[in-house]
Amino acid sequence: MNFSLLMILLTPFFGGLLAYAGSALHKSVRNIFFLIFLFLPFVELYQYANKTIDNFYYLTVLGQNLSLGINSLSFMLSILFALIFLLAGIFLLFEFDKSDDGDLAVLEFSFLEGAVFGVLFARDILSFFIFFELIAVLVFFLVGKGYKDAHIAQPKYITWALIGANSMLAAIMLLFFKTGSFGYSEIAGYLSTAPTSIVLTTFVLFAIGFLVEASTMPLHVWAPITYTEAPDSVSVVLSSVVKKVGLYLFTLFTFSIFGLNLFSKIMPKIFGSPLILYILQWVGAFTIIVGTFVAIVQEDAKKILAWSSIAQSGYILLGLSLGTSLGVAGGLLHIINHSIFKGILFFVVGGVIYRTGTKDLSELGGLIKKMPVSFIAMLFAIIATAGIPPLNGFASKYLIYEALIQNKEPILLTVALLGGTGSFMYVYRLIHSIFLGQLPKKYESVKEVPILMQIPMLVLSLLALLFGILPGIPMYFVSKAEAFLGFEPIKYNLTGFPEQSGLHAVNILAISLALTGGFVVAALIFYLLPRARKVHQLDNYYAGEVLTEDVKYNYSFGFYSFFDDIIRPFNEWSVDKIYEDFTGFVKTIGDYLRRVYTGNLETYVSLGIIVLTIFSLIYILGGVLW
Amino acid sequence: MVEKLVLVLTPVFAFFVGIFLEGFKRKMVARIHRRYGPPLHQPLLDIIKLLSKKENISHGVMFDLGPVILVGASILTVLFLPLPGFKQLTPHGDLIAFLYIMVIGSLGMALGAGESGNPNASIGIARALTLMLGYELPLIIAGNTLVLKYGTTDLTKFMTLQSGFHWNLFFLPLTAIAGFIATYGAMGEHPFDIFVAPQEVATGPMVEYGGKHLGLLMIGHAIQVYIETAFFTVLFLGGAANILTFILKQLGVIIVMTLFDTVLPRFKIENAVRYFWRWPTIIALLGLFIVYIGG
Repeated sequence: MNFSLLMILLTPFFGGLLAYAGSALHKSVRNIFFLIFLFLPFVELYQYANKTIDNFYYLTVLGQNLSLGINSLSFMLSILFALIFLLAGIFLLFEFDKSDDGDLAVLEFSFLEGAVFGVLFARDILSFFIFFELIAVLVFFLVGKGYKDAHIAQPKYITWALIGANSMLAAIMLLFFKTGSFGYSEIAGYLSTAPTSIVLTTFVLFAIGFLVEASTMPLHVWAPITYTEAPDSVSVVLSSVVKKVGLYLFTLFTFSIFGLNLFSKIMPKIFGSPLILYILQWVGAFTIIVGTFVAIVQEDAKKILAWSSIAQSGYILLGLSLGTSLGVAGGLLHIINHSIFKGILFFVVGGVIYRTGTKDLSELGGLIKKMPVSFIAMLFAIIATAGIPPLNGFASKYLIYEALIQNKEPILLTVALLGGTGSFMYVYRLIHSIFLGQLPKKYESVKEVPILMQIPMLVLSLLALLFGILPGIPMYFVSKAEAFLGFEPIKYNLTGFPEQSGLHAVNILAISLALTGGFVVAALIFYLLPRARKVHQLDNYYAGEVLTEDVKYNYSFGFYSFFDDIIRPFNEWSVDKIYEDFTGFVKTIGDYLRRVYTGNLETYVSLGIIVLTIFSLIYILGGVLW
Repeated sequence: MVEKLVLVLTPVFAFFVGIFLEGFKRKMVARIHRRYGPPLHQPLLDIIKLLSKKENISHGVMFDLGPVILVGASILTVLFLPLPGFKQLTPHGDLIAFLYIMVIGSLGMALGAGESGNPNASIGIARALTLMLGYELPLIIAGNTLVLKYGTTDLTKFMTLQSGFHWNLFFLPLTAIAGFIATYGAMGEHPFDIFVAPQEVATGPMVEYGGKHLGLLMIGHAIQVYIETAFFTVLFLGGAANILTFILKQLGVIIVMTLFDTVLPRFKIENAVRYFWRWPTIIALLGLFIVYIGG
């Protein structure tokens, strides 16, 4: 069968409507329609694996043909996003099992997938803008179905989404008036000869729009609370899909529409990158370090993940804006890898909340014995997050580091590596406070999450391991996407990267095998010796103190409080505060303005006379003075 | 063939060198205290004693796996360090990969200690990880300086490029000092033994470990001592032409470290991190600046 791009795009919309209608019959009818239509895009996308379509016209607006297209970059991401949507969809059904919002959530969730496909397939700025805004609206609705502070998150999100939208709209209008066309290729053609000021203005305006969604500093303010308060399945989509849509657009616009040649033509190069990309590298580095350090001192499981997600998009932005083949490969690979491991983390935390009802880390502990599958999934994910081999986070971070070495940027490299160490701290805190330590008495009857809920985390965990040991699999797609963006793809093989310019060879399979060998030796020593006797969790050394179930010591609140002390001086300068000061300033001005509006007619009349007098004076005197 | 044989035997070699360095250290500390001190092979005797205990206790599967992962990952890490005349596994991973491989053991140890449910262990780990963030900053900058200087991340090349007394200790003294302080912190010697701190948190992560678990931890620790000193030797002391010089240089590192270790008190964790982010970092940055200007 032959599926056109428009059909793929409409499938989720259609599925959402069908599922919503089915909910009138029975819940299971709704669920089956929902899942089938989440699965369909895989079948439909299959035929586009090696195809590039540039202009598939589907609508004419303002005398312009709106068009869809697909290429190696958007194909790679659409498969990835379809997978995340399918898994998060399964999770969503459990999450909204007992809720009345379930039917609407299913509808909006399906629409969200359609909107994401719309952005991926759009080949003109009008379609991409419409679908991009549709994403914002749907996320706004979905977030509202979350935790108790969701109503605070919603306006924050939509405000920032609108800031991004308006800045993009300004750029779109500017370009439309200059070219009279919406198509990507026409705009790219115009930009290559456009004056510097227009190139810079439009690029910055577009970048603001994309980076709001990617939640890099200083446009991240909405992200921590929105990620925390959204329903867990929506948090997965926010971090693994919506954020990546922003980064996808950034990649597409920077390298395909604006183009590196254009940038190097109009601005000086610093450390081998055009100035504006060099600034973005620092934005990325800043995001890494602040995101990581703030994540370390959080007390809420989802908030740690939210800040970690911010930090990881710093890595992606840093890699992409290096503008070298290595850096872009690292950034694109990290988009895939981050989507996978952050998905696992949100799924596991979501499962823990599903069973225990809390995301407060100081309330949890010792769940390893009750939820072993979730523990293993999270173990995989935290190893990947910290970028330790042999899980998948390593390969992509490695490429970014080597790209920084190639560009001879030791300071940025230091920041990126230090962020890696910091991520080790917060991921350990996460797994320790949830699964290790002491099991509170109230959770003694907690069970592992249902098997269907385990599927999303297990699938992603296996992918994380597979892509970790054999990075050649995702690199196959990444190198094609690189070729589309006009880079010479880096060399890779199934198990790692061979020696090439700017990159020392690394073979992750060799590392994994050596690690396995080491384990086998150590395990032999350990398990050949007499068996150990299991003891109760309170049968411990407490310096003579006798503890009972009621009075016990558990170190879980303020895990890194001393680290908090170290970074507290810097908290004074948080970005949020700057915005708050700005809001205060606007409010003060508003206060003064309000005094003018007394509601008294005489005041208005006299004001009008004053203004009229001033303007006439300017008009009369204007000729004399100037 | 010889290379493969050497590769397989390296962990054993590293273990015995580590035992020797530890034993030497204990002897030296004793002499500074005007004691006679235990025999050189005392750490080995300790390990044999612990491994042959009849009764062991466990707090769960992860608790058991902690020491296993530590030893397994230490064996892995050793294989990625070059030996004089042998590249080992360095063609499959460089300095950056090495930095990340080195963390696997700490992760295993931290997970194992975490499952014991003892708050002392958790505090110990929280401190250890915070300290790690402290000493990694100067260590990373020092490493970056070398990478910038040589234009490669290959540890074997670091060794060959320094041969014939082109030691980084002489040519980049500032970087070497920063690297030394960072390595010293990584070894957890006074005043940075904050995560072990027997008087405060009862040996921290190790508090619940005894018997064969502790025996395995001590095996892992012996290999870690080898790794840290060998790493410093490769980066700053020019590696070595043969095994004997290599061990002698490691011994030199241990002697200097012990001189500090014996006489210093203990930092608070905040002070330690602030210290690392101040003096060694400034020194390391100066070193980086010099290399940057110089070429």
